[in-house]
Amino acid sequence: MGGNDMKLQTASSVISFARELEGESAGFYEALAEKFAEAKDSFLAFAQENKKYVTQVERAYYGVISDAIEGCFAFDLEAGDYALDTKLAEGAGYADALSQAVKMEEVLVRFYTVAAEQSQALMADVPRAFMLIVRKRNERLAKLKSL
Amino acid sequence: MAVLEEPIKGVPLVKNYINGEWVESKGEVKDVVNPAKYETIGKVPISTREEIDAAVKAAQEAFPDWRRTTPVARARYVFRLKQLLEEHFEEVSRVQTQEHGKTIDESRGETRRGTENVEVACGIPTLQMGYNLEDIATGIDEYLIRNPLGVFGIIGPFNFPFMIPLWSAPYAVATGNCVIVKPSSEDPFSQLKIAELVEEAGFPPGVWNVVNGGRVVVTGMLEHPGIQGIAFVGSTPTAKYIYQKCGETGKRVIAQGGAKNFIVIMPDCNVNATIASLMTSFFGNTGQRCLSGANLLIVGDDGFYKSFMERVADSVSKIVIGYGLDESVQMGPLRDVEKKQRVLGYIDSGIKAGARLMLDGRKFKIRGDYPDTCFLGPSIFEKVTSDMKIAREEIFGPVMSVMRAKNLDEAIDMVNDCDFGNGNAIFTADGKSAREFQYRVVSGNIGINIGIVAPMAFFPFSGMKDSFFGILHTQGKEAVRFFTESKVVIQRWF
Repeated sequence: MGGNDMKLQTASSVISFARELEGESAGFYEALAEKFAEAKDSFLAFAQENKKYVTQVERAYYGVISDAIEGCFAFDLEAGDYALDTKLAEGAGYADALSQAVKMEEVLVRFYTVAAEQSQALMADVPRAFMLIVRKRNERLAKLKSL
Repeated sequence: MAVLEEPIKGVPLVKNYINGEWVESKGEVKDVVNPAKYETIGKVPISTREEIDAAVKAAQEAFPDWRRTTPVARARYVFRLKQLLEEHFEEVSRVQTQEHGKTIDESRGETRRGTENVEVACGIPTLQMGYNLEDIATGIDEYLIRNPLGVFGIIGPFNFPFMIPLWSAPYAVATGNCVIVKPSSEDPFSQLKIAELVEEAGFPPGVWNVVNGGRVVVTGMLEHPGIQGIAFVGSTPTAKYIYQKCGETGKRVIAQGGAKNFIVIMPDCNVNATIASLMTSFFGNTGQRCLSGANLLIVGDDGFYKSFMERVADSVSKIVIGYGLDESVQMGPLRDVEKKQRVLGYIDSGIKAGARLMLDGRKFKIRGDYPDTCFLGPSIFEKVTSDMKIAREEIFGPVMSVMRAKNLDEAIDMVNDCDFGNGNAIFTADGKSAREFQYRVVSGNIGINIGIVAPMAFFPFSGMKDSFFGILHTQGKEAVRFFTESKVVIQRWF
């Protein structure tokens, strides 16, 4: 689903998309952990955190979804705008990998920020869960830049 | 986007759940059809009078022991059911989409709201408490106890096959009563699934029964002297009939009927948020709900009206129609062909009456390869007047009738001129307008910047005028009152 031009308008499609992005991103960090021993623990921790983010978003969604909120009409996102580049180029070094990770995280921050803005008045606790991830991801960005 | 996996496989025959046993009915069977694919997904029995009688007998026999089960213990059964519903959340949601046609977001919303009622009923040791006063006279105390009554019939509609019986059943059993649930024969699998979880939760046999069928089962419930009361949700004519029959036979009754809800738009509203709410309100569940917006009543000058309606029409025309198990779909089909024909009849009626069909839902595109048999696109009528059928009768489909009012006073008069009083709403940024609307509109549920005025489980689902017949309502404390009788004890010791 990621990387195509599909519109994301329903809550369920956005949650599934978020799950997919987090999975792709986790896979990327797991690959980095195998390749770059110097930051293995950090990369594995990032991958683990991604799984936690999925749980948090799903919990918020399943906890508040009801017919009184605008689940089918809360978003207007283009999946293609948030395609992640998770394929490490052959021969890429540690610095290249970090730079790619930073770019990926910036896309994710943008995705969650826009999703939160669009659904602010319509999706109860879900935007708050998105913004929590934005905060955590900004912390991660700072850490990536320090590695 | 991929279509989620369907949980109902093959073409299973739905059984009744009576006295803790899965019993095959001797009645005729009819097909259960997935309206999006227009394919048979199951067979449901039209149970006989003997079968409803057997369920009542089982429930009556279970009642004395269940009533003696302590509230704390009963709450734990209900809590186990709540836990199982959480564990099966996704499965039961997909069942709803497969058998009813609603989108997966709508089904999950229905699962959540139904489960919330089970959750609230877990608090029965507190909710069922009575009250007392020491020394009403010197040395004499008085207290009130809320006693369960016996056996209740719960009759569910097709539009919320999972949630609506849960507005009543958890409170009934938590307070010590036994229930017989009759699901809609159009989409019985959701209640079947709940009964499976009831069994897994270990409820004693006879406490929670499910009898499938139609009129024979309903009549059997209404006429049976062993049933103490009925909770019904459906059309207004049937609600009235059930209310009358319960009056004749001395039964308690909650009878929730139809609606024709107005959504009043003031020119100071937050347009972006309002339009998103209108999409859900008018076209969510394909307009098949008693809280759906039906008449969009716009206050304001021509300039506001024109720009607002342009944006509404633009949003409505982009609604993605298809099979609800596709997560990108925003509106599913109508429940069956007859319902679609009925809505088409109203569209014809609107045209003949002189309303302007701004958006014609008869022309639509389906996402995915599905037959158009039960599908219909969203329609918008402008220039609708209060005397038109499309303004007065419940269409129960994706049709928005747009009307205009000079000011809030006229808008409130138009809302109150309606026979129904279920879920009317105003969109405004002005507190005074909102309060005036809330104060003067005769409606059981009022929305202020809320398009679907669905009361949470701990509030009653109210209704007025032709939308409700009875006194107490489903959900929360009122449901607890409905399912119990007050016993007052005055005591003195010599």
